[in-house]
Amino acid sequence: MKKTKRVALTTIIVLLGMLLAACGNAKPKETGAGGLADSPAPAKSSGKAVKLDIIEPGNGLPSPDQDTIKQELDKALGTDLNLTVYASGDDYKNQLNVRMASANFPDLFTVDRQQLKQFSEQGLLLDLTAYQDKLKPTIDFIGEDSLKKGTMNGSVYAIAKSPQIPYNTYWVRKDWLDKLQLQPPKTLDELYTVAKAFTDGDPDGNGKKDTFGITGGKMGAFNTIFGAYGIGFEGGPSLYIHDNKLINSLYDPNMKDALTYIKKLVDAGAVDPELMANSGLQHQEKAIKGQVGIIYIDWPNITKDQFAEQIKAVNPNAEWMQLEAPQGPGGQYVSSWDVGMTPALYAIPKSLEKNPEKLNKVIEMLNYVSTDGSKLVQYGVEGKHYNLDGDTVVPTELLGKEGAYFWLYQFTGRPEMEYLQVKFAKQKPYIEFADKQPHIQSYGGFIDYPEGYNAVDATRYIEEELTKFIYGKRPIGEYDTFLQTLESSMNYKVYMEEAERQLKELGYLK
Amino acid sequence: MVKSLEDRIFNLLVCLFLGLAALGAILPLMYVVSVSITPISEVLKNGGFILIPKAVTFSAYEQLFTQTGIPRAFAVTAFITIAGTAVNLVLTALMAYPLSRKLMPGRSFFLLMILFTMLFSGGIIPTYLVVKSLGLLDSVWSMILPNAVWSFNVLIMKSFYEGMPEELFESARIDGAKELRILLQIVVPLSVPSMLTIGLFYMVGHWNEFFQAIMYVTDRSLFPLQVIIREILMMTQQPLENAENVLPTETMQMAAVITASLPIIVVYPFIQKHFTKGMLLGSVKG
Repeated sequence: MKKTKRVALTTIIVLLGMLLAACGNAKPKETGAGGLADSPAPAKSSGKAVKLDIIEPGNGLPSPDQDTIKQELDKALGTDLNLTVYASGDDYKNQLNVRMASANFPDLFTVDRQQLKQFSEQGLLLDLTAYQDKLKPTIDFIGEDSLKKGTMNGSVYAIAKSPQIPYNTYWVRKDWLDKLQLQPPKTLDELYTVAKAFTDGDPDGNGKKDTFGITGGKMGAFNTIFGAYGIGFEGGPSLYIHDNKLINSLYDPNMKDALTYIKKLVDAGAVDPELMANSGLQHQEKAIKGQVGIIYIDWPNITKDQFAEQIKAVNPNAEWMQLEAPQGPGGQYVSSWDVGMTPALYAIPKSLEKNPEKLNKVIEMLNYVSTDGSKLVQYGVEGKHYNLDGDTVVPTELLGKEGAYFWLYQFTGRPEMEYLQVKFAKQKPYIEFADKQPHIQSYGGFIDYPEGYNAVDATRYIEEELTKFIYGKRPIGEYDTFLQTLESSMNYKVYMEEAERQLKELGYLK
Repeated sequence: MVKSLEDRIFNLLVCLFLGLAALGAILPLMYVVSVSITPISEVLKNGGFILIPKAVTFSAYEQLFTQTGIPRAFAVTAFITIAGTAVNLVLTALMAYPLSRKLMPGRSFFLLMILFTMLFSGGIIPTYLVVKSLGLLDSVWSMILPNAVWSFNVLIMKSFYEGMPEELFESARIDGAKELRILLQIVVPLSVPSMLTIGLFYMVGHWNEFFQAIMYVTDRSLFPLQVIIREILMMTQQPLENAENVLPTETMQMAAVITASLPIIVVYPFIQKHFTKGMLLGSVKG
């Protein structure tokens, strides 16, 4: 008893001590942080590093002391960058919403189209229209077209990253084709034959029926099939223009035929049975494990060294090759390619108007990473991460080791093709192949959802019903009923009308 | 004692059932441990499922501890857990004890206020504003102080203290003890089991801290373990947005999971015995 008493007493004292220490430590921070957040901008430029708070989704950022890019940017710009990245999109949204609501604005942050609309209407974003002259180097870098992507109600509210290039195609197991004495499929009929043979013909020769034909990320697995029917489809319906008429994939006259063909594939057992449950990179895992022969995926996820090694580890004979989009009744397209999409939109809060020193630094930084600093945020430090051979960038080994996070600082994007060919010299043919494949140009990325249209609900409903058609749970004859329900209970008509209006405004429709 | 056939069958069934239940608890853990110490090529060859490792490597752990922010995050989390639990326990005890004494003026009013917070909370944004105006943003204290007391635990402690016989306090007073002395020398020593139990609740809560970190902390060097681990796990959940991202392998993910949960698993058995003493039961033990 006595012992317990003493132990308890010491515990209490220690705990109390810690509590006191806690309060003591908290105090200086309190004044420090509070002062920073609340005090107006210092009038004089004190020559002190300007602290810039930047948030965006992302991952893999090292701590500041190991972050070469941060250090170099700080040195060049006289800033103290505090970049925070959030691995989960939901976390990022939470953080951004809370900070916007409590007026503790980051100095630069990414938004999506919806947030751009919401925040600009609430007057929280800085109208960049007046700053276009100052931002000229940035605008030159991203291109005038990209400026449209950050435009809302006629004003520029965000800087869009320079556009990317398509990565996705069908990939097929060459060694399986050889084993079954098949040719790479060139038409939809051949695709069917091959996919069915991969399921039934035991292409891995283990005597078990444990393989199947086609997989991909949910409906994305069929993008190219829709493409062969002339339908632009990118995991979900796209908006494209045909003879100056706006078409939504769902209303494409070929849609029923395409769904019927896919149903035929499903009925033959040639499609990954867990297709609609594939989240994240599960379809890629299946490909690496040798369970599937055709996959719709981007080249990085199958040819990067890391994955190439894994594929070899499972089966040394495995050989994946890219497939040209097969010919179908509507042509041959890999997928649609949304010209309204951008990898990210960066916005500046309106509150920075009152803090010209900071605002100038943000603009200076955006201009810097678009011009002189462009190489830094792409390839790192010259002489360390890369060397220049004339004009060509020759990466060193260190770039491969440390360069995985540099993209987080590419606020205005990068010259995509050039960049990829430096960083992925080995993958060059795949990059070019995917880029050259035909795509249907689509415009959905430009469209802002009108009042009364809930995109999340509509998207879910569309996916559910399309799945039913494909799996024969709902006869294709009911397709028109499906469209009617979509229009009546999901306000799809309002969305389409709005889309038409906005595309006319942007000049894509006459 | 002679066992009838019926007894034996019953025993067998019970053993079988419990054995299955235990297996159900152990197998997933075994899977995680095994994958984390098996070379990735071996894992993939087996279709991603391994229970007993055929080859052993600790490279995933090595990578985890040298190439990620884990060691730093570990230190942050350890601090939050220790300091946070200490703050929690002191404040909870200091709050619960007076509320348990019938003599305390305004007792029902304070109790009502506590109950009120359990039913209605301010919400994320008001809380954020409070944390911000206290200047706690971007400090470890933002992960400790906003949740310094959990109302529910106060009520548990209160009912525990109420179980102590009034005579105990009377005799102490007759012997000349004042309130502080009664608290420190009688109440606290008697409530060690319940303190430890509640301490474990708090501790696990702090160890799993991640929401407040996401909300209040933007300085990467202050991120606790769970945020970093979550980042490692989330990376593979989303389709690749940037070609140059190097994704953590499955073995590395599993190693991260082990790293995050091992300390709690280790601590648990030492505190577990106090659970058996119970905290909702009476205070005076035979």
